[in-house]
Amino acid sequence: MKGLLRLATNPKSVSIRMIRFICVLSVLLIGGCKKEKESSYTPTPYVIQIPKFFPSNLNIPSDNPMTVEGIALGRYLFYDGRLSGRTSPDSLMSCCTCHIQEYSFTCGINNPSFPGGMPHGLTGIPTPHAMMPMINLAWNNNGYLWNGMIRTDNPDSHRRNIEDLVWMGITAPHEMHGDTNRTVALIQSIPGYPELFKKAFGSDKVTMKNIGKAIAQFIRTLISSNSRFDKYLRGETQLSEQELSGFEIFTTENGGDCFHCHGESGNPLFTTNLFYNNGKDTVFTDTRDRYSVTRKTVNIGAYKAPTLRNVEVRGPYMHDGRYKTLDEVIDFYSEKVVWSPYIDPLMHHVATGGVRLTSKQKSDLKAFIHTLRDDEFLTNPDFAKPATFPDGSK
Amino acid sequence: MIRIKFLISSLLLAFTGIFLFSCTKNNSDSSTIVFTFSHTVDGQPVQFDTIKYINAAGNQYSVSNIQYFVSDFKFWKHDGTQLNYTNPQDIHYVDTDIPGTFTWNFSNNIIPGDYDSITFNFGIDTLKNKPGLFSTTPEMDMSWPMMMGGGYHYMKLNGKWIPAGGTEALPFGVHLGIGQVYNADSTINHYVQNYFVVKLDKSFTILNGQTKTFNINMNIEKWFKYPYVYNFDVYGGSIMGNQEAQNIFKKNGKFVFSESISSR
Repeated sequence: MKGLLRLATNPKSVSIRMIRFICVLSVLLIGGCKKEKESSYTPTPYVIQIPKFFPSNLNIPSDNPMTVEGIALGRYLFYDGRLSGRTSPDSLMSCCTCHIQEYSFTCGINNPSFPGGMPHGLTGIPTPHAMMPMINLAWNNNGYLWNGMIRTDNPDSHRRNIEDLVWMGITAPHEMHGDTNRTVALIQSIPGYPELFKKAFGSDKVTMKNIGKAIAQFIRTLISSNSRFDKYLRGETQLSEQELSGFEIFTTENGGDCFHCHGESGNPLFTTNLFYNNGKDTVFTDTRDRYSVTRKTVNIGAYKAPTLRNVEVRGPYMHDGRYKTLDEVIDFYSEKVVWSPYIDPLMHHVATGGVRLTSKQKSDLKAFIHTLRDDEFLTNPDFAKPATFPDGSK
Repeated sequence: MIRIKFLISSLLLAFTGIFLFSCTKNNSDSSTIVFTFSHTVDGQPVQFDTIKYINAAGNQYSVSNIQYFVSDFKFWKHDGTQLNYTNPQDIHYVDTDIPGTFTWNFSNNIIPGDYDSITFNFGIDTLKNKPGLFSTTPEMDMSWPMMMGGGYHYMKLNGKWIPAGGTEALPFGVHLGIGQVYNADSTINHYVQNYFVVKLDKSFTILNGQTKTFNINMNIEKWFKYPYVYNFDVYGGSIMGNQEAQNIFKKNGKFVFSESISSR
């Protein structure tokens, strides 16, 4: 009480205490702004180099910045069959079981494990749709999967990005049909992994969230930008007369009219990443089309236009894999397009059943599409299975 | 003692000054311009994907979506002088599927005063309309094929129409961009720039510190109406390689837009 009285009555004491108070407050404020240093967590930032002519707007969640350590961990997990949460040799499954590099990270139409190129899950349940390629997904700002249900503005925070697709891949009955708790426990128990999680995320505790983050980081590095057409755009090579003719057919409305949905030199992703009813059917029964996401009737029977990069190695084609070859696809767009009330306004040639290409035009168009093959992508060792896993196993 | 009091007073004053300075808006001699964009048919907000409209040629039609560029805005004074905004960064993309593009915070540095009118380019002028102008999507998805002149679509107006005597709605795409004039052997003789100037001929005054909002409305039916009637049954649904059709929209486009102005 005496002290308080003295504080209240002695002006000098008040002044000195106030100065001390301000100093202490300042130190606290400045100190509070500094992030606590975590000595063992110093991941190396990884910046995607935007290839020439590519868009600069990437889809990388702010809570999962790419790091060298995160990507390295993601690559191990992408290829490790124990991601399924199982250890029996006949029950191993990872992303790479179906996403195979040489087929542009689809399962491939000639894969003996998946007849016709239509995959099924670990327990034999077929996937509802054909596979989409894993190419340049970091540039996809319009939703993932054929119907775009995984999108950044999804009210469901567990359905927004590639990180969430990893979780779905582990749990979906038509994929790994697994249990995330079992997966997390198994990965935690494998020597080497906890240390890699520590390097990538600052904690050696394995979590499903960080498994998703790591694999998503790796998937975002799967970039194709060195096809013959890329080299042509960069002035490093010349296309043949036939290929250039095909390019013209690709990019003209009175030719193949492909570019409005699949892009062209102005957007070398070779997809708009948007959704179109391209006139395959008159009756629509698939419950996983774009309509299932938007509930707009104009989206009935609509699906994402996939990139045409490396399209020649990744059949079967269309969301249901109905076409086995590129020739069948070209024939469809040329003569077999059918009208429905939901056909996309960009399908200008539906009244004539398609764009009506001659045999030569079809050959030229196909020759151009072959220029979108990127062998560097298909053989890039950075995208391939690691020689050994963190515990030394192969 | 006095020195200590002075020190405290100075510290408090300094803190107060910094606080007030950081919280007070800088009040310079300039005003803010915001553009908003709307789209109507026959005076009513467009209802997408419904065959409920009839154009001047009698075609029943619907509108699915519209994407377009506006550029080179100029604010004209009575004496003929103007404020020019003609840099590439002054180009705006509007997409009816992306509501965020309907509002464009144009500039917060407009010189106050009396103005007679605003003009802008619908599309992009010859100098700027080159491949590589944009480095982000969705603008990049507006690219216009190199072999047809390159650069970017000025506009994609997509929809459907019912042909005369028909019942099935067929797709159309009024896609404007650089046109081509062809030789008899179907090779391209030369290209035609189809962008055009739109004049919003309404005088206005901008006061110091004021925010002025200009709503630019696209009266969609006018694309097909004046001075040339556009008939889908004649020209069809795709016009990228048809300069005669492109020219109709180039001429009609000058009469498509109207404006309204609000202040705060």
